Amino acid sequence: MSESNKVILLVEDNPDDVTLTLRAFKRSHVMNTIAVARDGIEALDFLFARGAYASRAKDPLPTVVILDLKLPKLDGLGVLRAIRADERTPLQPVVILTSSKEEEDLISGYSLGANSYVRKPVDFTEFLEAVKVLGIYWLMMNESPPERKRL
Amino acid sequence: MKISTKGRLATTTALVTIALIAAMILWANKEVEDANNKRRQTTQLTRGLTEVRLVTFEYILHRHERARQQEQEVSSRLQRLIADDTLVEPAQREILEDLRERIATTHRLVEELVPNPETRSDEDKESIRRFEAQLSSQILMLQQDSVANAFRLTDFSTERINAAQRRVETVILFGLGLIALTTVGGAWLINRNVLAPIHRLEQATREVAAGNWHYKVDVGSKDEIGDLSRNFDSMTHSLRMSFAQIERSNQLAALNQEIEAFSYSVSHDLRGPLRSMDGFSLALLEDYGDKLDDEAKDSLQRIRAASQRMGRLIDELLGLSRVTRAELNLKVVNLSQIAREIADSLDQQQPPRAVKWDIEEGITVHADSALIQIAMQNLMENAWKFTGKTEQPRVHIGSLQADGKKECFVADNGVGFDMAYADRLFGAFQRLHHESEFSGTGIGLAIVQRIFRRHEGAIRAQAKPGLARHFSLA
Repeated sequence: MSESNKVILLVEDNPDDVTLTLRAFKRSHVMNTIAVARDGIEALDFLFARGAYASRAKDPLPTVVILDLKLPKLDGLGVLRAIRADERTPLQPVVILTSSKEEEDLISGYSLGANSYVRKPVDFTEFLEAVKVLGIYWLMMNESPPERKRL
Repeated sequence: MKISTKGRLATTTALVTIALIAAMILWANKEVEDANNKRRQTTQLTRGLTEVRLVTFEYILHRHERARQQEQEVSSRLQRLIADDTLVEPAQREILEDLRERIATTHRLVEELVPNPETRSDEDKESIRRFEAQLSSQILMLQQDSVANAFRLTDFSTERINAAQRRVETVILFGLGLIALTTVGGAWLINRNVLAPIHRLEQATREVAAGNWHYKVDVGSKDEIGDLSRNFDSMTHSLRMSFAQIERSNQLAALNQEIEAFSYSVSHDLRGPLRSMDGFSLALLEDYGDKLDDEAKDSLQRIRAASQRMGRLIDELLGLSRVTRAELNLKVVNLSQIAREIADSLDQQQPPRAVKWDIEEGITVHADSALIQIAMQNLMENAWKFTGKTEQPRVHIGSLQADGKKECFVADNGVGFDMAYADRLFGAFQRLHHESEFSGTGIGLAIVQRIFRRHEGAIRAQAKPGLARHFSLA
């Protein structure tokens, strides 16, 4: 799989944050497909190829899931728990990207198996920097775990 | 009245009653014995009188010298017997006097009898015979009366014995009645003052055990059970109080949880819009910068600066609330070491500045390590910041004794502040300098004050040349 085929799943309900994140990726010259899920259930549908995403059954899993914590329907920690519990995605790289730096969120995030925890800075210049580093790290430097056979 | 007092009273009553009965029996016994003695004496008297009557009779008939001697003998014995005044009760003294007189008279009359009338002449004989017949009948009548009187005396004694025995019976009956009454009264008192209140207490313990902590027992009496019931009531009262306290602290905990939830949304939801404001302002600047004039660009920069500042304010507010909510974990903390580490990290952050740190060795406080670290960080950063325009910046961290309490201080030779505004120093978002002079949100000292309050310590500020800031921690 070439680098440009790698898909990033962005789970974020705030359209402003979606736009800004996409802008940040673009400005960091990340050209990969960025799928956006607006709530926790949609994120799981995408990952497990259910509902509106049933056609994804043959497609590879995203290289990294960028997960907000505060989401409608099912919150970020719930999504993470479901990802780790499913036999198809126990090793799926998940980065939590959130406004919260509450100690509790950090602890639960890591306890549930988050690979990384990044706080969204208010300063967009800093945000840009963070997204750039994330893109470089997960798309270029990090080796993805071997793909499990999907059902 | 106390139950023990009542018990002692009942016992005393019973004992006194028994003692009274015993005394009455003893006294009555003595009375009976005394009366018996007297009856014996009066019986003797009766017997003596009968005897004297017989010998007198014999003497009158036969004029034997032996009979006269016997009469004399018995008479003198009777007189001796009757001379004793104690023979009878004072009420019968009259009868006794009468008897004495009769016995003496009888004796005198007997002596008047002619010893040997046969030796006289016939004429004399006739007159003597008539005279003696009269005399004899008088004597016999007198003696008859005496015997009757003696019998009466005996009867009196018998009467006395009977009376004494009746009295004993009455006393015994009365005493038994009193004892019975005491017993019944005691049983009634025990039931009313002991068993009934104990039953109420027992019911109260069941009520309280079932969770009814408003149940009151107070039996109202002033005895031991009254004390017990009042103690019981005060016990349920304190139970109620501590339960209320627990409820209050539960409510507080719930409130704390609400604050936590609020902080969470503050941190999450308020920062989102700020990010948008900053991000899209930058997007405008980047994408349309060439079409905007300098004023428009400046406005966008101001929007960005304001959003970022607001982001910092939110973060610091959250820091303040975290300090309030954090659980205290008290132990001995080496303040000197903490100060040294903070000084080192400040030195590394801004190497061109050279602040002379003067940190007293071995200062220890009993405090929460994490919180005291935050407090010291704020105080020392302030000292660092406000000495920024001083030629030879110096910061002194030390301790002293004030009013018997240990006081630690952070002092610097920076710009200091106006003592007139000292009370505003510790309010959140309160600043005594313009932000253009010294940056900051004005929340640092508010955090420090909260940390000290949570340690039940106090912070105070002092401004004089070379000594800008002071705080104390008991």
